[in-house]
Amino acid sequence: MALVLKFLNGTYIFRKCPKPNVASCPFLGTHFVDYCSSSLQKPVAAPGKTSSQRNSEGDLQGHHQREVALDITSPEEKPLISFDKAIKDEIKDQLRRLKDDIVNHWIGPEGRPLHEVLLEQAKVVWQFRGKEDLDKWMVTSDKTIGGRSEVFLKMGRNNQSALLYGTLSSEAPKDGESGRSGYCAMISRIPRGPFERKRAYDWSQFNTLYLRVRGDGRPWMVNIREDTDIMQRKNQMYSYFMFTRGGPYWQEVKIPFSKFFYSNQGRIRDAQYQLLLDKISSIGFTLADKVDGPFFLEIDFIGVFTDPAHTEEFAYENSPELNPRLFK
Amino acid sequence: MSWAQAILLARGLSWGWGGICGAALTRAPFSQAPLWAPRGLHRSATACNSDSWLVPPSPEPPKGPPKAPAPHEELFTQALGGTRDKANFVRAVQNFGQHNVYKRGHVDFIYLALRKMREYGVERDLAVYNLLLDVFPKEVFRPRSIFQSMFIHYPRQQECGIAVLEQMESHGVMPNKETEFLLLQIFGRKSYPMLKFIRMKLWFSRFKNINPFPVPRDLPQDPVDLAKLGLRHMEPNLNATVTIYQMPSSKDSTGAADPTEPHIVGIQTPDQQAALAHHNPARPIFVEGPFSLWLRDKCVYYHILRADLLPPEEREVEEIPEEWNLYYPMQLDLDYGRSGWDDYEFDIQEVEEGPVFAICMAGAHDQATLAKWIQGLQETNPALAQIPVVFRLAGSTGELLGSSSGLEDPPPPPPEGQEEEEDNQQRQQQGQS
Repeated sequence: MALVLKFLNGTYIFRKCPKPNVASCPFLGTHFVDYCSSSLQKPVAAPGKTSSQRNSEGDLQGHHQREVALDITSPEEKPLISFDKAIKDEIKDQLRRLKDDIVNHWIGPEGRPLHEVLLEQAKVVWQFRGKEDLDKWMVTSDKTIGGRSEVFLKMGRNNQSALLYGTLSSEAPKDGESGRSGYCAMISRIPRGPFERKRAYDWSQFNTLYLRVRGDGRPWMVNIREDTDIMQRKNQMYSYFMFTRGGPYWQEVKIPFSKFFYSNQGRIRDAQYQLLLDKISSIGFTLADKVDGPFFLEIDFIGVFTDPAHTEEFAYENSPELNPRLFK
Repeated sequence: MSWAQAILLARGLSWGWGGICGAALTRAPFSQAPLWAPRGLHRSATACNSDSWLVPPSPEPPKGPPKAPAPHEELFTQALGGTRDKANFVRAVQNFGQHNVYKRGHVDFIYLALRKMREYGVERDLAVYNLLLDVFPKEVFRPRSIFQSMFIHYPRQQECGIAVLEQMESHGVMPNKETEFLLLQIFGRKSYPMLKFIRMKLWFSRFKNINPFPVPRDLPQDPVDLAKLGLRHMEPNLNATVTIYQMPSSKDSTGAADPTEPHIVGIQTPDQQAALAHHNPARPIFVEGPFSLWLRDKCVYYHILRADLLPPEEREVEEIPEEWNLYYPMQLDLDYGRSGWDDYEFDIQEVEEGPVFAICMAGAHDQATLAKWIQGLQETNPALAQIPVVFRLAGSTGELLGSSSGLEDPPPPPPEGQEEEEDNQQRQQQGQS
């Protein structure tokens, strides 16, 4: 069933990139197709956040399978691992995850007892205390559309925080269709269960996002994406701004989820609805403030908590000028 | 009708219709339209000299090299006096309408003017944007029937209107009632530029004040004022005092060998002063930097004076004084009754770093300037004289350098630090005496 799901995922992407010969075995075929979609550099939609998200998806699915597909796609490169061993390791890994999943289901949601989950008011979702924590994130910049910004992610001092740094360049790529450019993004990978099934975060009992960061005074944008497999939701995300203070002191940023506005393909949508927290796929930070120069952002941890003083459900109301149909 | 007049009329008619269609439809071949239009004008002027509806030949100079500059570019290159400022820009825009009553090529002209705005420094001026929107002919592009409003009526012009509004949006200029009236006159209520205007009005007003640390739009040009603004921006404690340790020397001082003295501005809170006074003289304190701070689009660099974190065994335990009155207690512990439901703390050990004692912004990032800062600090913190100061100046990658335990990236090599430490001790003693 998981293979069928994978195949379905693969065929969806297959429609985007017409490759004449799909590999015979469906399992490997989907790997191949995933890898090919990640090499699509030129987005069809307008440049901007959309391309970062699109390529992030391609990278997401392509990266994970890259070791296995290495022999097929680049035969001239000497394979570092043997094909059979890689397959065996992968199967063992997935079966172990399946066992963990089944066992955890008996204990409680995500392997924690139910009373602990229900009473929880503050939860740390991402922390940066080791190299494996950095693997849960990936960074993109406008290099994918031909721009010149660079961005890197590494562990900060004493392995206690993550440092996202680089240079932003708003020089537009000379491909005849982009008018503006210059963005860098750090996006979290979608949580996966056994056999690479997509999982989602369930934050329905919390109402505020909490970040402990140290920036350099630049304004960042926090984007939250829900499950993007559905065609309608492919380029939609909820965003809000995070203003860093700069300076040597750590800064606590608390953004209530009611403040996130809904945008599609990089533009704010007219019809706004609140962010529903039960199927969150990934979170990302984007810098695109049209100022060229180096930047850095040090992140200690990212968590969610319930702010009992915050009772707002949604901060933006729809206006009858922009949405007459909603007010009939 | 004579033979010459018939040919002239036919040529004029074909040129006329072709010109209008060319203006409305595509942008790329449009550059050819004004190329052959004046030629047609000149040709017709030579062929006949009596016709009434032909506009007299325009005084525009002929197009030069084959790699043609943008149409109407000469309106901008002819800027009188050569200075690029608002008056010349406004004059160039107004000159456009004077040559041709029908405003041929207004779309291209507006795109060119949008590109030139940055050079003339008027990209944040709402009056200039309104003037640019005024270039559009009014009432022509409004849809008059349902069918016209169903399809995008005059798409190139609507795209051009949207481009003007988009440049306003990217520079953060809020449109006003005049813009609304102009858009209404030009495009009508149901057009895309009008829709964009409504969206701008809505979202700009929603997001106007969301920055909890606002930076003024016009940054001060004076580096000392900029440093003061930056230091106040970084320091959350409002009790902090900003001290100027050195003003920049004037440029016209003779003394080529002596370079201009950079400014040194520092900030310190009373809490930091107290902490520095309690600091153990056996442990060194470090001057780290430079780190970057961005204020809108200007980057300034600052240095900090900090100490390393004390290992757990050396940390002082706070003494709790005995309560002398239970009705007015000095300490209230209201944490009773907290179960799992009430726990709002995160289950993680936050990153702990050593205390910061002072921050400064200086014109130069070398050790001599920072040593002057330390000397200036000694006046308010006499304890600083006994404490060894180590300078850890790295290139501005923006990360705070590793502490003495568990480094990943090597900081400037420790032997150099020790040498500097000894130097500084000598300097401290010299400064003292």
